[in-house]
Formats: sequence, structure tokens, C-alpha cells
Amino acid sequence: MSGGPEPRPAEVRGFRGRLLVAMMLVVCLVALGFYLAQRRVAADGRRDFERQFQEEAAALRGVEEVRDAMLAERCRALARRPRLHAALEDDALDLLYPSARDEMADMMGGEDEPGREAAPYALHARFYRFLDGRGAVIPPPDPAAVGALEPADQARLALSALAESPQLGELVRAGPGPGEAVDEIIAMPIVSSETGGIIAAIVVGFRPIDLGAAVGGAGIQSGLWVGGRLVMPALGPAERGRLAAALAAELAQPRAPGRSLEVAIGGAPQLLFYRRLNAGSAYPPAYEVGVYPLAGLLARQRQLEWQFGGIACLLLAGALGASHLLSSRLSVPVERLAADSAENRVQRQRAEAALDSTSRDLQRSARFSADASHQLKTPVTVLRAGLEELLAAENFTPEVREELGALVHQTFRLTSVIEDLLLLSRMDAGRVQLAFAPVNLRRLIEGWLDDLGALPDELGLEVETELPPALHISGEQRYTTLIVQNLLENARKYNRPGGRIRIAAREEPGAVVLAIGNTGRPIAPEAQEHIFERFHRAAAGENVPGHGLGLNLASELARLHGGALRLARSGEDWTEFEVRFRPAGERT
Amino acid sequence: MKLRRAAAWFCLCALGSRAAPGQAVLTGLVALPKSHAAPVANKRYEIVSKSGVLAPDPPIAVVYLDGDFPPAARAAVARMAQKDLAFVPSLLPVRTGTRVEFPNLDDTYHNIFSFSPAKRFDLGRYRSDERPVPSEVFDRPGLVTLRCDIHEHMRALILVLDTPYFVLSDPAGRYRLPGLPAGHYTLRVWLSSRTTLARPVDLAAGAAREENFP
Repeated sequence: MSGGPEPRPAEVRGFRGRLLVAMMLVVCLVALGFYLAQRRVAADGRRDFERQFQEEAAALRGVEEVRDAMLAERCRALARRPRLHAALEDDALDLLYPSARDEMADMMGGEDEPGREAAPYALHARFYRFLDGRGAVIPPPDPAAVGALEPADQARLALSALAESPQLGELVRAGPGPGEAVDEIIAMPIVSSETGGIIAAIVVGFRPIDLGAAVGGAGIQSGLWVGGRLVMPALGPAERGRLAAALAAELAQPRAPGRSLEVAIGGAPQLLFYRRLNAGSAYPPAYEVGVYPLAGLLARQRQLEWQFGGIACLLLAGALGASHLLSSRLSVPVERLAADSAENRVQRQRAEAALDSTSRDLQRSARFSADASHQLKTPVTVLRAGLEELLAAENFTPEVREELGALVHQTFRLTSVIEDLLLLSRMDAGRVQLAFAPVNLRRLIEGWLDDLGALPDELGLEVETELPPALHISGEQRYTTLIVQNLLENARKYNRPGGRIRIAAREEPGAVVLAIGNTGRPIAPEAQEHIFERFHRAAAGENVPGHGLGLNLASELARLHGGALRLARSGEDWTEFEVRFRPAGERT
Repeated sequence: MKLRRAAAWFCLCALGSRAAPGQAVLTGLVALPKSHAAPVANKRYEIVSKSGVLAPDPPIAVVYLDGDFPPAARAAVARMAQKDLAFVPSLLPVRTGTRVEFPNLDDTYHNIFSFSPAKRFDLGRYRSDERPVPSEVFDRPGLVTLRCDIHEHMRALILVLDTPYFVLSDPAGRYRLPGLPAGHYTLRVWLSSRTTLARPVDLAAGAAREENFP
């Protein structure tokens, strides 16, 4: 009855669960993508910082290069000065600084001018000192003229040996104010124009190039790390010391130092970039340091995290809802199917139960009618025997005798009905099994016609036959006869006076069709569908003999024969039944 | 012109002293150091510095007799001109107290100065039409390095000697020092700012000696 296996509720639940898991997975993947994007944003932020630092460094380098080039040119010019050579070579060091004063005047000039002080960066020197051929500082006769320096600071300008290339350094010294002053120092060799040898060097101290507000942003601090000391005015001494130590530890690493390290200032994470300012210099190593607060970046990162998290959560929730909706929608037909099938099952069970009970009822009724028939047959036989005995007696008047004869006839009718009922009930119970054998239908019809001729012909019927010479069907003689007799009896019974009966048989592929037609009043259309029902007697008058079982019996028997009985047509003084048999030689 | 006159005067002096009886003559050959530069056709004496040592190139020596001599009766005058962006001569021995004139024979400015301990001076910038001709009196013995503040390559040496008896060798190193008074002296040969050879000599009156270095 029901097609395929029924989806159980557990399966539906499993299906929905899998669907849900898949959707969750998709959402999780999306969330992961967001996370990675966020990570990338963070990395980009750091890269931006580093780029900023490098750009600043590049800008500084650009200015420094200009300045160094200028200084180098100035040194070459100085080296060409005969006075300078004279002072150095002719043992007149006392004249060295005065000799260079004119040359250095424009470089030194403006240091005291307040206008120059405000310049973003200056190419003007703060001080200069000469180093002799061994790298020692030649003390100036008038330090104020060449930029005053503390003796200790001045001593730090010395080099162990003069090099051919400019030596860069950073001089951290106590400044005029509370903080420390930083000077960028460049030691330029003075090469003798005559011999090409280095006869001296000039060390020039510059104010550090300060690009000021041109670069940088909020919270970004730049400073200088020289020989373990960190100059970063914005920081307190303790923080500065800690940072300097961290940087020193980083720089002490034997491997090539990186470019950045993470530090904390006052608990806030910072990204520290550093860059060697004086690579290869004989002066102590100096690093430019830029400290970029990670707090903003972290805050932005956290904000992004929250945003992404929120979005992901929303998405998750949305997807959850959607998946739920989708899964429920997807599973609706399945559930409906399941519900339908459940309903079907109930209906089927009910139907089966009904069928079962009907079958039982049928069995019971069939048994009942069989029993009833048997129980009835015996009294009828007894009754007829009694009546016939009475009829055989001599002492009755002819009226009584006629009455008795009618009663006997009625007992025959009763017997006939009982037999029909018995047969029907047996058929209903499925107890009638045909013993199929070839039956000569033609002979059967002819036999009936002989019987008909023996009967008194009250109506003056005309009988036409159109039968093939040999007409064998597959059936059991007894029951086939019943079919044919019933139909012919009906054709006679329901005929009109002076009417006609036509019996025709024809062979079709796989079937023998027997048509029996008769004149007479047709069967009303509304009654036609009921004529094969039990105890239905159409609109036949009460004077027509019959008990309303004949057509039903014939129809049932025809079905048992593997054929069918139908009303071919009924109208305009002609009613014709058609019964189909299987031809002889064919098995079921 | 002045130079020529001075030279003539010097020669006359020398001849006169030779002519005087009892005066000794020193001659000899100084082994000069090898020339720094490859020999060129137009030999010009110039002062070169190598490792801080100033020496004439091609090499030439100043031979002088060191002793205790009475001061000069009158101040001598010498000349060191600037011609073709060079000092002429590039090595000038003078006696203490000599006034040296520095005429500018070029068409450009020169600025002669010296930071040498023996004589510090700065003549400032002047041209050939500067009158009187800028001059300096060299009153302390020693080596004076002259430079031009405008032309860095220009250099000259003035060897201020506390003796009237000195002579420049020829490029081969030969020298002749005539008209020397008898006595006990030190004969010195100046070769460079670092190298001065010395040898005691006893000069008899009218003697003619040959002293070769080394």
C-alpha cells in the first residue's frame, strides 16, 4: 500500500541536525575569515607604523645627506685653506681656530640668533673642534668662539684614529635646560691637497634634525639611544632606563638585530622601532628610536574584534535562524510525508480492519445462507412430498387438487431459490471451484430450445439462432448451463406476445461471445445498473416468474468462467445481454 | 732687478773676501736626497711636503757656517718674488735681520703669510702695483714657511740663519763657501725641514778645504 520506507521522527531530527551543523560550519568559516581579516588589519597597522618610522628616517636621512654633503664640501674647502695647513703643519695650532673662523663663520653663524632657533632644522653647527693627526682634540684658544663644550664632552669628540670617511656620532650632554642636549657630530677628515694624506679632522656638532610636527602623530615619541643611554624627553627617568636596558638587551643579541621590539611604557604596550644612525662609525653606536603606542592600534583592534564579533554573532544568529527556518522548511515535506504516511497507515489499518470484519461478516453470512439453504431445503422437500401425497389421494375436489398443484409448484420455486442461494453463498465463500472442460455451447443451446418447444407456447415467440457449427468454450457444464438457461429464461420471460428471441454466437480472438436478445419492454435506464444485483427484479411485473437471483447468479458464474456478462443494450423493444466465455483449450 | 742687484752685491762681497788674505774657502759635494718628482725639462724649484717634511724639489742644499759672528753692520735686503703663481726663489737663505721684499709679479692677487714660529706674518692681499713692495724683517733664526692664502699650492721657505756665511748648492750638490774667517766653527748642511747635517770645522787662515757630505 504505502511506497518506500517511512521516515521516522529520529531520522527527521537527524536530518535537521546535520543541516544545522552544516550551516554552523559555514558561519564558523565566515567568522574565521573575519578573524583573519582582523589579524591582517593589525599587521597592516604595525606595518603602517614601521613605514611611518622608515619614512621619517628616510626624510631625516635625506636632510642628513644634504647636510653631510655640505659639511664634506666645507671640509674639503677647509683642507684647501693654506692657513689651515699652515697652522697644522707649521706648528701653529694656536692659529688653527682663528684660521678656520672665517671659513666656519657662516656655518656657526646664527646659532645665537633667535630666529634660527625656531627653524625646523638647521644646517648650522653648534660647535666644532679640530682633531689632530692622531685623533686627539685640539683645544680651542677661545671656546666661546667655536661653541662652548664641557671638557668631558669635548674629550668625547676624540677618535682613536682618523678615518678617511666621515664618522657620525651622537653626543649626549647636559643641556642648558633641565634635560639633555643631543648633538649630532660628524668627524670629517681634512685631507692634504698636496699629499693626499689625512692631516687632521674637524668635528662639527649639529643640532639634531627635528622634523617637528611635520611627521609623527599623537603619542608617538622619538628619541635617541646612544651607548646605553636613551634620550627621550617625554619619558620619566625610570621608564627611560627600563627602555634603554630593553633596547640594549635587544642590540646585544648576537644575531642581526631586528627593527622593532615590543615594550611597555606605563603598562601601555608600545612598538619600538630603532635604526642605527652611524653604522660603521668609530663613535659609540647611536640608534634612532621611535616609540609608537600600540594602545590605539590595540583599541582599534579590539573595536574591530567587537565589531567583527558582533557581526559574526549577528551572522551566526541569523544563519542559525535561517538554517533553522531552512531546515524546518526543507524537512516540512518529509514531515508531512511522515504524517501522511502515519495517517495512511491508520486509514489502511482501519480499512484492513474493516475489510477483515467485512470478510468475516461475509464468511459468516455466506455460511449463514449455506446453512439456511440446507435448513430450508429439507422442509421444502418434506412439504412437497406431503403435498404430492395429498395430490395423489382421491378424495379431493378438483378445486382443492388445483390448489395443491399450485402449492407443489411453489415448492419447486422455493427449491430453485434455495438452490440458487446455496450456490451464491458457496460462491461468496469462495467454495465454488470450476472443473474446467470443453463445453459444447451449441448443443447446450439447442437442448434448451428443445425444452422450450416442449413448453406450451403462450406468447408465440419466434426464435432466431445464429451459431457457428462448432462452439466450444472452457467451463463446467453444470454452471455454463445455468448461465445460458438463466439468460434464455429471461429472454422468454420478459418478452412480449409475438415477440422474438435472437441467439447469436461469434468467436473473437481469445473469447467466445454469446449474445441473447429479446423483444419486449426495455429495462429502465435508472434500473440498468442494478440489474445484476441480488434480488433485484427490475420493473418486472409480479406476474413474471422469478426471484431476482438469476442475473446475479449468471453474472457471478460468468466471472467464475473467466468471462463477463453485460447488458449490451436495452431500448426500443429490444434488450440484449452479452456473455463472454473463454474458448475451449485455454486454461486459466 | 733688485734680486740681480742683490746677487751682484753678494758676489762682490764674496770676491772681495776671497781677495782678502787669510780668508779660508770651503768647497765640497753634498749627497742630495733623491728627487721626489720625475725630472722635468723646465726645472723649477719648489717646496714639497712629504709626511710633514718640507724640502726643495729638485733637492738642493743650503750650506752654512755656524759660529759666533758679529752682527751685521747694516740690514741686508733680500727678495722673494711671486711669479707665475710660484715663489721665486722657493728657498731663500737669509741672515738674521734681513728684510725680505715680496714683490708680486703676477697679474693676480697674492696673500703671503706665515704661521711659522720663527716668523709669523700676514702681508694681506696685494697686487703687483702695491707700493712700497711689501716686506718683512726676519729677525729670528729658523725656518719660515711661506704660503699664499689665495693659492694653496704656493709655498716657499726662508731659512733665517744667524750667520753671514751661507750658500746654496748647485743641483748636483756642489757648493763653494769662500771668504771664511779662520776659526772653529760648525759647518751645517740644510737639506730639509727635518734634516740638517752638521760637522765641526777648524779653518786656518787662507786654507782651502773640501768638505763632502756625508
